[in-house]
Amino acid sequence: MKQRSYKAQKLIDNMQKKLNRQVVGSLVACVHCGMCTDSCHYVLTNPDDPTYAPAYKADRIRKIFKRHYDWTGRVFPWWVGAKSVFTDEELEELKDIAFGKCTNCRRCSINCPMGVDFAVLNRIMRGLLVSVGVMPEGVSVVSKDQWEIGNQMGVLPEDYIETLEWMSEEMQSDLHDPTAIIPIDKMDANVIYTINPREVKYDPRTISDAGKIFHLAGENWTMPSEGWDMTNFGLFSGDDALGGAVALRVYEKMKELRGKKLVISECGHGYRSTRCEGPNWAGVNQDFEMESSVITMLNYIKEGRIKVDKTKNKGSYTFHDSCNNARSCGLFEEPRELLQLVVEDFREMYPNRTENYCCTGGGGAMSMSEYTPRRLKSAKIKADQLKATGATVVVTSCHNCVDGLTDLIKHYELGMDVTQLVNLVANALVIPEKPVVVEVPPVEKVVKLPLTGRKILVVDDEPDILTYFSMVLEDNGATVLQAADGETAIELCIKEKPDLMTLDINMPGKDGGWVFENLRKNPDIAQTKVCIVTGRPELRRLIYDRPVPMPEGYLDKPVDEETLLINVRKIIEVG
Amino acid sequence: MSDALHFAEHRLQEISLIIMGLVYITRLVWLFRFKAGKERQMATGLPNTNKRKGILYSWVNIMTPWAMESTRKHYIIYAQFVIFHLAVTCSILLSFFIPYAPGLLEISFMVLLFQVIIGVAFLIGLYRMYRRLSKPVMRAISTPDDLFSLTLITIWMGFAFFAVPNDTSSGETVMLTYFWLTAFFLIYVPFSKISHYLYYPITRYYFGKTMGHRGSYPLRGTRV
Repeated sequence: MKQRSYKAQKLIDNMQKKLNRQVVGSLVACVHCGMCTDSCHYVLTNPDDPTYAPAYKADRIRKIFKRHYDWTGRVFPWWVGAKSVFTDEELEELKDIAFGKCTNCRRCSINCPMGVDFAVLNRIMRGLLVSVGVMPEGVSVVSKDQWEIGNQMGVLPEDYIETLEWMSEEMQSDLHDPTAIIPIDKMDANVIYTINPREVKYDPRTISDAGKIFHLAGENWTMPSEGWDMTNFGLFSGDDALGGAVALRVYEKMKELRGKKLVISECGHGYRSTRCEGPNWAGVNQDFEMESSVITMLNYIKEGRIKVDKTKNKGSYTFHDSCNNARSCGLFEEPRELLQLVVEDFREMYPNRTENYCCTGGGGAMSMSEYTPRRLKSAKIKADQLKATGATVVVTSCHNCVDGLTDLIKHYELGMDVTQLVNLVANALVIPEKPVVVEVPPVEKVVKLPLTGRKILVVDDEPDILTYFSMVLEDNGATVLQAADGETAIELCIKEKPDLMTLDINMPGKDGGWVFENLRKNPDIAQTKVCIVTGRPELRRLIYDRPVPMPEGYLDKPVDEETLLINVRKIIEVG
Repeated sequence: MSDALHFAEHRLQEISLIIMGLVYITRLVWLFRFKAGKERQMATGLPNTNKRKGILYSWVNIMTPWAMESTRKHYIIYAQFVIFHLAVTCSILLSFFIPYAPGLLEISFMVLLFQVIIGVAFLIGLYRMYRRLSKPVMRAISTPDDLFSLTLITIWMGFAFFAVPNDTSSGETVMLTYFWLTAFFLIYVPFSKISHYLYYPITRYYFGKTMGHRGSYPLRGTRV
């Protein structure tokens, strides 16, 4: 008898816990008609590879199920296509399919004449693999952060609070209103606003934009100091225990603050996880109101609580439906209605709503870098869809889609911008004028910012990082130069002679290693201080193995504001 | 009528139906022993969507080929599906008409109608076999049961085509083969993928309930 590995046996045993009537129905009902096949963006871009077909992918779990849990497969395994798993190598193959060939977008599910929910089957396959420790590294890292730190990007509590305070200052400055602040942990608020940690890390403007909207609407709102991350990696990893724990964190904080309504910022998987799946994973009935911030903003406009001027948003806009919002939560009309209230030129994308194609960054794909080439190849479908609209900006209500779309727009050189509704609504806000009170300005003490007079060159191919680093450094007084590739970095360095260069290692074309060596070997710029910044520590040898003096500093991505500042100051001031 | 044909038309069919019924009951009991998953969250989506509408929509989804992109794009395959399943229904009805209501088959229109539907479906069956064997995707997802079930039904319909006139004047071979195949078909069905119609209302019920509760059903997608 063939020996089965410990992990394979465990996976088979764990399957029992995942089986309910819906799942078993989906497992036994497939007739292999092939109608689902070309509803999948992976199939459309890999037409000659049958392993991308939804039915083929679902069959991987169906075969195991039939072999162990369905008597037809136990009695006549070969006849009905039942097959067990034995080795860890087979589990790796399953991982490649479940994580690398499907984004769980559910497009095939709604196209199945039999009502087979392929996406649910794929998520179960992922969950089973995760239960035996077989998963892409990115999934493991993010899941660990969400279990241990409480949010999927490992944002520390002090960084989160500091960002909210910083955004409060931005709001006050933008609205010229000292009362415009982000209340934290306010009891009995009408609205408890939860966000995606990506907003804290890379896109804090969405927080201040939302804050402005709540403030101008006169809302009694707050943001929680804990349980604020409404995203949930359990959705992507198929780990219901993680899904339940994360959802409960949010619900419990909501109850602790005695909030009336939980408002979920624009995030497809976050909305689905918190609003639609969380109660099921956590095993609790939903007993308070939850809604997407899209609905909240729309209602504010409809109720006249905020006024918007659509002429403020120039350009042509199209809307991309997040799969989780549209197909799994029925949220597709409200964003369109809202968008048309805040822009003048709206162009529909085809197909759309529940039939829209995935941004190709869904299902946690953005965290699994090993599948990036596959993802970008499959993104051709989305790229064609975007291009056909002729719009200059694509709007979406999902942070994952923002990243996925940004990546494919860059890859296919579409030259489009990506934004979210909250940014457009905030930009279109008509800010009521306040009576002018002439006051004698108090004599303020001029505070010299810590990096005043310093010139810093930020080198990174990721636009988000360039923006984020520049914003932090400029706010602290530095003059910031930006380079998105190696050659530009060297040119700027020779021309501008910066005090410091923050250097990403992994860049397309001339990478960070090349930049670093050229810089050190050029006597004109060899003395420039360098701080290596990378998300891939294994690439450090590209720098440290070179026969040139070592860099002055090193940072692992993601980098929070405080760490960046401390390191930059230390390098510049101490050297 | 010979004793053999009488047996094949009556007792054999009754035994086969009983076996089929018992296996179906076993399958359903097995399926319903799995607990149904619950949607604990409040409904999402537009106010005019709900679980009940979702279930109804889901059940009739197959009759609205314009609703799903898959059936809309592959309308020829959809038409084949309709004819094929109509022919299966006709072939089953035939096994009841011949012994219990032979008068119906004296109506020439009825004979013509049945023969046209079953005849076209027979050709579709042959095409489906070709499609399943020639397309890499179809080959990759097919099991021996898929191929055997399709072959069985196609051959069965071939004999049904000739059995429709209910004429034994030139021998009973066709009728005997048709009824023995029907009996085999009835016994084999619950063990095979042909039993999908047993699961169809169940999978569709739960999928419709989920999607209706979430406001995704009825499907709304602006078409190209």
